[in-house]
Amino acid sequence: MTCLEVRELLPELAVGVLSPEDRERAERHLQWCAGCRKEATDLGSAAATFAFALEPVPVPQGLGDRVVARVHRAAGAPGTSRRARMAAAAVVAAMVAVTSLGWGAVMAGRADRFAERAERAEREQAAALERFQRILAGVIPGQQLPDDETHLGQLALVAGGSGGGAVLQLVSPTILDFVIVIVSGLDPVQGSMPYRVRLVNARGDVLRAGRIDELDADGGAEAYHQFKTADLTGYTTVDVVDATGAVVLSGVVDQSA
Amino acid sequence: MMAKQPRKPGQARRPYHRKETRLDPRPDGPLLAREEQQLVEGLLAGNQEAVRALYARYARPIFTLGLRLLGSAEAAEELTQDVFLAAWRKAARFDPSRGRLSTWLMTIAHNLAVDRLRRETGVTRPRLILVDEVPEVLGPDEDEVLMERDVAIRALESLSDAEKRLLARAYFGGLTAREIAEDDHIPLGTVKTRLRTALIKVRRANQDKERP
Repeated sequence: MTCLEVRELLPELAVGVLSPEDRERAERHLQWCAGCRKEATDLGSAAATFAFALEPVPVPQGLGDRVVARVHRAAGAPGTSRRARMAAAAVVAAMVAVTSLGWGAVMAGRADRFAERAERAEREQAAALERFQRILAGVIPGQQLPDDETHLGQLALVAGGSGGGAVLQLVSPTILDFVIVIVSGLDPVQGSMPYRVRLVNARGDVLRAGRIDELDADGGAEAYHQFKTADLTGYTTVDVVDATGAVVLSGVVDQSA
Repeated sequence: MMAKQPRKPGQARRPYHRKETRLDPRPDGPLLAREEQQLVEGLLAGNQEAVRALYARYARPIFTLGLRLLGSAEAAEELTQDVFLAAWRKAARFDPSRGRLSTWLMTIAHNLAVDRLRRETGVTRPRLILVDEVPEVLGPDEDEVLMERDVAIRALESLSDAEKRLLARAYFGGLTAREIAEDDHIPLGTVKTRLRTALIKVRRANQDKERP
């Protein structure tokens, strides 16, 4: 579908009356077209105005308890890999937010001005790492994970690529090592997929760390890999490569932190 | 590769990992993007406090929309539960930079309601629901809902009566552009253009309700 064809469908998509077939075609286009996605978001937001304008009616007594119980049950159910990946996505997304909160400015000496933000960033980072621990504890039941063995890095755009991302490594002497990679803004065009994640050490040794076969509407995905024998110590370079082998995202994890 | 070695006893931990964190959104008023993200992360973790905070703020407009579209309190209640469950499933993908939490939840609610209507045999169009119960006193967390409603009503005032009717027929009535075109004996392209124009007018009128 062209952008012109999709934009013709967007008003009906916004008000929720598009046929399932057309909705699917439009959603496919929106997965990779940021311009149409912006238009879809704007129109959808406008359509929701109608819902907010309704005269509110009382909700049944006890519904809140039932909602809380249902979500709590679902969230507390034995962890599925999907749930773990989603939770990991949120954690790393939070970490990306943390790293963009102004550490550079703090390091540049403007600590006073950014003290409050730095403190908040530190709190959020602490919270993110605690949540990450809980996720991993869910993956390996009964295992208390050391919080000084998780390391964070950011994936930056390489010339010719698109998007960005973050990586979190667990490098532990006592338990299996993990890597979780979150990406967004990758190009879903035919020929690029699947993307692969690889870890490289200073000697040029390479470890495969996951494969991305599907991207969401934002060109995003998560890759999660557990290493049964390999030790990730020293594997600080993280690359995301496309199907042709070209590196599209790359970053370095600071394992000394 | 190095084999895994037992962990060294007494290994130092970075002190900031030990800090306590808690969910502490402001009790009333519109949420900041950071607070919305915090609530959604709490939802993702199944944190009861976060779910209750979200429920307190957004359950009423969600239930109201469900009642309006689905026609029974029972169906609206099921929809409300489904919305929060769907929000939990989709929580990792919520991006506060792309829209407000309230809009995100309401879009989920509308889509679920429309999908349900399409699945149910014999229900082709939602009907107008009249509610004669006396509304409960709103709690402080629902101040945002009241503000949303006020802003929404003002935004809809930017539309002509014909534009309001057109959008309502689609959003509440479930009529497609083609069905509206056939009913009104006007070209399909004209209906689509009018829908888009009306939505853009609402969007523009809504600009001033952007996040604080």
